Amino acid sequence: MFDLLRKYLLSLLVTIGLLVALIIYSLNLPDAREANWVERAVGSILSPVLGPVKWLGTLPDRIWHDYLNLVQVRRENMKLREDIKTLNQSLVAAGELLQEHERLKRLLEMRKTVHEPTVAAAVIGEDVAPWFRTLTIDQGSSSGISDGMPVLAAGGVVGQTIKVTPNSSRVLLLTDHASGIAGIIQRSRARGVVKGKGEAVCSLEFTMREEDVTVGDLVVTSGVGGVFAKGLPIGTVTMVKKGQYGIFQSVAIKPAVSTAHLEEVLVVLRAPRE
Amino acid sequence: MRAFLKALCIVVAVVAFQSAVLPHYLEPAFKPDLLLVLMVFLALRAETSVSLPAAYGLGLLKDCLSGIYLGLNAFSFLVVYLVLKSVSERLNVQSCLLFVLTVSAATAASAAINLLLLLVFSQTPTLFAALLNQLLPHLLVNAFVASLVAAVPGCGSLRTSP
Repeated sequence: MFDLLRKYLLSLLVTIGLLVALIIYSLNLPDAREANWVERAVGSILSPVLGPVKWLGTLPDRIWHDYLNLVQVRRENMKLREDIKTLNQSLVAAGELLQEHERLKRLLEMRKTVHEPTVAAAVIGEDVAPWFRTLTIDQGSSSGISDGMPVLAAGGVVGQTIKVTPNSSRVLLLTDHASGIAGIIQRSRARGVVKGKGEAVCSLEFTMREEDVTVGDLVVTSGVGGVFAKGLPIGTVTMVKKGQYGIFQSVAIKPAVSTAHLEEVLVVLRAPRE
Repeated sequence: MRAFLKALCIVVAVVAFQSAVLPHYLEPAFKPDLLLVLMVFLALRAETSVSLPAAYGLGLLKDCLSGIYLGLNAFSFLVVYLVLKSVSERLNVQSCLLFVLTVSAATAASAAINLLLLLVFSQTPTLFAALLNQLLPHLLVNAFVASLVAAVPGCGSLRTSP
């Protein structure tokens, strides 16, 4: 009997082992997604060890890649820097184009409201003295421009052309001391002359005391004088002062167009009346 | 001829820089008057036969790029030049400090002459206040530019011998 048992012991143990393994497997099937006590024990023991071991195991690799073999990284770094530079330039160029597009779009909208032929011009220079306000534009008599023509921008009136040469003209801004444009308060139809004051502000002069002018009123061209068509925006009233004496009131106007950084303007090909 | 072309290139560069580049970065009151600095430089350090027509020409050039009154700056530049030239022989024209002071004085004098002419010959009553407001920063900026010019080593080439 013992001989028989000894003869088949190994096979028996293997079979029992297989059976036990199969039973364990089958018993764990219903809770296959949960860790049993064996798995929990193994996990608890190994988890503190695995991290440092992995760190140590990959140390040579990291030393090689991070410290010794940096030629590739340096090359890649330089390439990425170049890429960033190129992308930044493209971004700036795209932003510039977008802004130009917006400006030209507004200028085109203004052009639609003018029922006379116009010439678009770029601003190429500004007055060299601090107390005068003129601009130089890149279109002149060869484009049909002559002295005294109205110059507009997206927001409204900019000024009028002076000293026209074949390929360039100067624009006397409405903020210059020598500028005077017949204006009218859009709401109350009070009349006056918009005079420049040298800085980013104008004044509406010769407006009678009894005329109705309030802060926020829009001042437009009156069409008197024949240079500007009627109804073009000049600016907004920012201050009204009526003194005790005198027949006129003091009215300050903020121009509708900021002339500080103008880049494109429209010259209306409208010969001034003699 | 070569000297004339060189001077012309310098003037064109100065004018382009002052008219097209500086206004992009600076407020009007802080724009330096490079043509005036050049005129003072010539008045102090160049021969009369060259500097006299140059001073008037620079003034005319400025008038072509500023305001609407042709001849205004030409006149004021000429007056300032003549005054400077008349006293330059008694001054140490090699001094950098003198150059800075002269440019400051020339700025004030030129503005005063311009104002006087405008008040006498044209209707610009509001100009007085604007000019007074902006004169001090303009003068300081001109003095600063003059100090930079005086510090440039090559600027001594036109100096007269003591």
